[in-house]
Amino acid sequence: MGALLEANNLYKTYRMGKVRVPVLRGASITLEAGEVVAVLGKSGSGKSTMMHILGGLDTPDKASSDNAASTVMFEGNELGRMSGAELDRYRARRVGFVFQFYHLLPELTVLENALLPAMAARGRVKYTHERTELRARATELLSSFGLGERLKHRPAELSGGERQRVAIARALINRPDLLLADEPTGNLDEVTGAGILDALLAHRSEAGCTMFIVTHDPKVAQRADRVVHLRDGVVVPEGQPEAV
Amino acid sequence: MYQALLTRRYLTSKVMPLLAAIAVALCTAMVLIVWSVMGGFLAMLLAQGSSIIGDVAIAYPVIGFPHYDELIEELVQRPEIEAATPTIESLGLLAVSSDFGDDLEPRVVQVIGIRPDEFDEVTSFRERLWWRPLGASEDETEDWRRKEENQDAMARILEEGSTLSERDPVTGVAEPAMVIGIEVTRNNYRTPEGIYRPASAFTPQDRYTLSVLPLSRRGVAIQIEDRSLPVANEYRSGMYDADSKWVFLPFDMLQDMLKLSEARRVPADFTPGEIFEGPDGPMIKRPEATETVPARATNILIRAAAGFNARETEAAAEEVYERFAQNHQGYPLGPTWKENIVYVWEEKPGLKQFIAAVRKETGLVLVLFVFISFTAVFLVGAIFWSMVSEKTKDIGILRAVGAGRLGVAWLFVRYGLAIGIVGSLAGGALAWVIVSNINPIHEWLGETLGLYIWDPSIYYFTEIPSRVEPMKALIVLGGGVLFSALGALIPAARAASMNPVKALRFE
Ligand SMILES: Nc1ncnc2c1ncn2[C@@H]1O[C@H](COP(=O)(O)OP(=O)(O)OP(=O)(O)O)[C@@H](O)[C@H]1O
Ligand SMILES: [Mg+2]
Repeated sequence: MGALLEANNLYKTYRMGKVRVPVLRGASITLEAGEVVAVLGKSGSGKSTMMHILGGLDTPDKASSDNAASTVMFEGNELGRMSGAELDRYRARRVGFVFQFYHLLPELTVLENALLPAMAARGRVKYTHERTELRARATELLSSFGLGERLKHRPAELSGGERQRVAIARALINRPDLLLADEPTGNLDEVTGAGILDALLAHRSEAGCTMFIVTHDPKVAQRADRVVHLRDGVVVPEGQPEAV
Repeated sequence: MYQALLTRRYLTSKVMPLLAAIAVALCTAMVLIVWSVMGGFLAMLLAQGSSIIGDVAIAYPVIGFPHYDELIEELVQRPEIEAATPTIESLGLLAVSSDFGDDLEPRVVQVIGIRPDEFDEVTSFRERLWWRPLGASEDETEDWRRKEENQDAMARILEEGSTLSERDPVTGVAEPAMVIGIEVTRNNYRTPEGIYRPASAFTPQDRYTLSVLPLSRRGVAIQIEDRSLPVANEYRSGMYDADSKWVFLPFDMLQDMLKLSEARRVPADFTPGEIFEGPDGPMIKRPEATETVPARATNILIRAAAGFNARETEAAAEEVYERFAQNHQGYPLGPTWKENIVYVWEEKPGLKQFIAAVRKETGLVLVLFVFISFTAVFLVGAIFWSMVSEKTKDIGILRAVGAGRLGVAWLFVRYGLAIGIVGSLAGGALAWVIVSNINPIHEWLGETLGLYIWDPSIYYFTEIPSRVEPMKALIVLGGGVLFSALGALIPAARAASMNPVKALRFE
């Protein structure tokens, strides 16, 4: 099993006027194909930031006097060298995002929200051609998450847990190689959260998708193949003592 | 693909884009109405003018041409010329009966002497005689021409109008008669539908006195000539200027009244009152006419033959005139004057300036309104700017699931286009409804609010043009769509250039 994604030496510093907020300070992580990695860390430690960088949505800082070059390699290709269009394609075809706050489009129905990445990844002709198939897949995914009866509902008519499940269906619609989930169970009660985690892991065993799950929840961490911590801007394996 | 879906959803779930569409609709409607009415007015003028006064004219006011029949004979031999007829035009004064008391009211009129049959070949004179039998109809009895009991009288009046003569009902003797413009007496009431109804007096039964001034070659009035003549019929061209001023008379009669008929001239060195010694004592010397002055006409109206336009006909008429003038050296004007006295109808002095003014005015008004409509661009721009702000998170989501910058920009431009199309179509429909019913609407405005915008004495025609040309509609609607897309362009660029992470973190 080779590395699907390899992030080396990630730096990210936010500047607000004269104040510099260093968030990532040389974080590195390697994701093997098919593994589920749980990322723990305090609020504000940069978990979301790192996830955005891995998904090609954000870029790490350029090399400077303070830091060496950051690189993210996906299947041996460096994201930093990709064109905008290539990055769009990377996000559309290879990556699925589940956000901390669902981020569904309020005007679209449950089914349409789940289909959104399928539309974005295909041109009009191709989408129209595969439409029936894609709708069937979206319906199946949503049904497997217990939303089979809610396809025509708007996000505003759903509970938080239901919205999160729509967001997961959306992330999985294009059969991504890498799922980036930001606290998928964060706002949910224990039972619902466990249900969502079950759904995710069931999908992993079926499709062999690599998962990067940001969480606060030890129960989630327990079920991952590997747990890492984001601390002081670097990734440390679990069990390692806190850096001084 | 997602663009189509989102456009549809945004369009139906938000009030703001609806407002933008309404703004676009109002702007396109405004421009289309103005263009249709003003442009239609010009088109009407250009289309009808030639059928009222002929395609080409040869005119030499006051003094006129001699040998006009010879000139006409030569003119009609040209293939470019279908028909030609002499006319005489002069100012006149018509005393008409008024609605108030027995007094007569004078009207300054344009007297036109015509040979009715020939004149009808050059213009459509007979067609424009108003009083005619239109067939009895029960439900349209407001129109006198459709009243059962009027049919015979109308047939007679039409005949009299087209021959400019009226037969005495008792003696059966025909006498010359006038045809006057339908607005001359103001005794006819025009209904909103454009029908004339006699208000109190029915003009064709009246007799009016017409006065004209024969002028000397120096343009000085020699005397006043007047005739009391019956009115045979009334004339309606729809062109207010003609309908309120024109009086048609038989050509020979007006020629006579204006002293333009054949005359004999006394030598210039003749001294009146000179006494000489005759065989039986002193006698007053009698003038001896040595020269015959031929009869004259002031205008020759020409109709172009089928397949020739007015310009080609004008060129032919100029050639003929040049030769004609060479054969009649020195009188009235030499061959080189052809440029000035032969002209296509649009260049008739007075009319030419008017047409030019209308053209300019139409252009100016159109530019102004298009400029005003440009506000729609900013309106759409402002609404879209706030839409993009409101939808920042959606933009972040779209980018996260793989939508490209161009795709996101296209979403908003497309949305602008959709608003433009919806707005323009609605505006086009609105304009069509308004323009098609502009005369009743105008009438209603006038009646309820006292607001008369279209004054026939200024705008020539008694009716407002009421047709939307498909070509104009297409251009204006296309412009509306373009303006909307233009307004969406900058907000779309802003959406495209948004940083996806910042967009996602946007609260
Ligand atoms: N655009 C920005 N400008 C300035 N600072 C920012 C910006 N975005 C994020 N940060 C800061 O970067 C830090 C890391 O943010 P991030 O969202 O990655 O944290 P997190 O680990 O996901 O936290 P949480 O568990 O609360 O979601 C925070 O301190 C945040 O304030
Ligand atoms: Mg976070």
